[in-house]
Amino acid sequence: MTSVLELKGVTRAFNDYIAVNGFDLTVNEGELRCLLGPNGAGKTTSLDLITGRQKLTSGSVHLRGNDITHMSEQQIARQGVGRKFQVPAVFKELSVKDNFEVAFTRERGPFANMAVMRRSDGEARYNEIIEIVGLGDRLEVPAGLLSHGETQWLEIGMVLMQDPSLLLMDEPTAGMTEQETAKTSDIFNELKGTHTLIVVEHDMSFVREIADIITVMHMGSLLAEGTISEIENNSVVREVYLGSEGIS
Amino acid sequence: MNGNIYHNRKAQWVAYVAVFVLLALVPTVFDNPFTLNQLARYSVFALLAVSVSLIWGFGGILSLGQGIAFGLASYGMGMTMQMQFQNPEYDPIPSFMLTNELETLPLLWEPFLSTPVGLILTILVPTGFFVIFGILMFQARVAGVFVAIMTLAMLAAWYSMAYDMQPFTAGFNGISPPLPLQIFGGEVDPYSPLAYWICVGVLATLTLATKALLHTKFGLIVQAIRDDAERARFLGYNVAYYQVVVFAISGFLAAWAGLCWVMIVQYVSPTSMEIAFSISMVVWAAVGGRASLLGAIIGAFMVNGIQSYLGDELQQVWMLILGAIFIGVVLFLPRGIAGLLELILSKVPFGRGPSGAQWSAETGTEEKAS
Ligand SMILES: Nc1ncnc2c1ncn2[C@@H]1O[C@H](COP(=O)(O)OP(=O)(O)O)[C@@H](O)[C@H]1O
Ligand SMILES: [Mg+2]
Repeated sequence: MTSVLELKGVTRAFNDYIAVNGFDLTVNEGELRCLLGPNGAGKTTSLDLITGRQKLTSGSVHLRGNDITHMSEQQIARQGVGRKFQVPAVFKELSVKDNFEVAFTRERGPFANMAVMRRSDGEARYNEIIEIVGLGDRLEVPAGLLSHGETQWLEIGMVLMQDPSLLLMDEPTAGMTEQETAKTSDIFNELKGTHTLIVVEHDMSFVREIADIITVMHMGSLLAEGTISEIENNSVVREVYLGSEGIS
Repeated sequence: MNGNIYHNRKAQWVAYVAVFVLLALVPTVFDNPFTLNQLARYSVFALLAVSVSLIWGFGGILSLGQGIAFGLASYGMGMTMQMQFQNPEYDPIPSFMLTNELETLPLLWEPFLSTPVGLILTILVPTGFFVIFGILMFQARVAGVFVAIMTLAMLAAWYSMAYDMQPFTAGFNGISPPLPLQIFGGEVDPYSPLAYWICVGVLATLTLATKALLHTKFGLIVQAIRDDAERARFLGYNVAYYQVVVFAISGFLAAWAGLCWVMIVQYVSPTSMEIAFSISMVVWAAVGGRASLLGAIIGAFMVNGIQSYLGDELQQVWMLILGAIFIGVVLFLPRGIAGLLELILSKVPFGRGPSGAQWSAETGTEEKAS
């Protein structure tokens, strides 16, 4: 198997505080990896380091063998890395449709895009996306007026519209109802195989639905890695998540 | 749910064209040269408001330095028109330079001996400056209020430079070219319908071009960056690059305003780069509605119209009145007159079917047809 993403000794320090500490992670092509860990474990910071939002203090990040450690956010995005933020980020004053259109990034430069007159260029693609995430009856609504759950869907839809090969999802089901969560796991299972995904999650029943391998972080480092049953039976993991109740 | 005609592209174009046609017809009704000149000045202000609307309303970048481009272009135009009066052989040096004890024409002035070169520089220099200044700011990810402060500081620097470089700019007195603009074998009398039509023509052409640009994907991405620059960056867009381009375009628009201004007032001084003037431009755009180019134009005409009809005592406290207008708009009409119109039109039924169906009716077919 070829590795899509490889983190080696990734470290990020904020003055004295080390948020991510010598973190190693290898994710293979077509895999869906769940990243677990208590609040403050360094999950979001790890995604920041992969996507160039923060600079590494030390260590390296490789994407399909290419060193992306020092690339800017947009360069990394252009390598086919898409990201959904923990706090949903959408273009609030633009309509849902225009949000999708902006996420359809066939041309990236300003002058090239001055020649793109029809905004319906991404139409074929977003019809597919709307099939998947819904929102078909909300296309004209400014994104700022969507409910929290709908905003989550919109952002997932935008990441799909961008068509990256590696998708990083930071707590995608936060604020979703049970049915919505179930729908999300269907989507992720669908994407698995053709896409590589890293999903940060808390909801264990959701993780059980989707994960191949689980990586558990604690205090900025790797705590454990393994299949769902290995993790559920790991005594160190149980301890970190407080007591005998296990992780759920 | 019905659509709002305010958001209909065709209706928007009709409204824009109608306003410009009305403006163009003014000289057939009023032939008072002073009224025409006054309205030509308003058109110049309207173009400045359009440039603010583009950079602030659509780009989300509050620039208080639009006066830099306006002022640089004003000086470019002033120099061009001054050199049209000088004779390269017998009388190559403007008289204010002689009183400042310059014996040869400064290198800075040489290119303006040629009218075409002078006019090109009038537009190119301010635009180029906005490119460089934009790269410095946006590459470093300066945003929000810091852009406002930096542009303001830069404006103040240019102002004092124009003021202090007496031998080159005539300092506080400014440059008053003795003759109107000479071009194509004729001259443009500042009080003539021709001068008025040039100003309105420039306003119309540049506004319509800017509107067309905003309807492209580029325009959509600029607005996306306004809403959330980080999100755009993670979609792979070079945010700084887009910001530099839109900032430079706003500078280009303000430069055309400077060119037209000196054509119709035959005078340029450091007041073109006064801080209060650049802030006024922002107020015009805010009153009209910064997220609408046409709104900004209407705002500029309205506020300046009000100013001209106030008595002399009230002129003394004009900045206070302007401040009060601004605060009133921010509090009660955050989207300006255009926002008010949008609200009123939303009560008027328009179009058919639910919003989903309206999309394909409005944009799909319409854009495929064009
Ligand atoms: N910009 C920052 N400055 C200082 N500390 C930070 C910063 N970003 C994150 N941290 C700290 O790093 C730790 C890891 O945060 P985070 O990656 O958001 O955790 P998680 O996503 O796993 O809940 C937290 O203790 C947080 O307070
Ligand atoms: Mg987090």
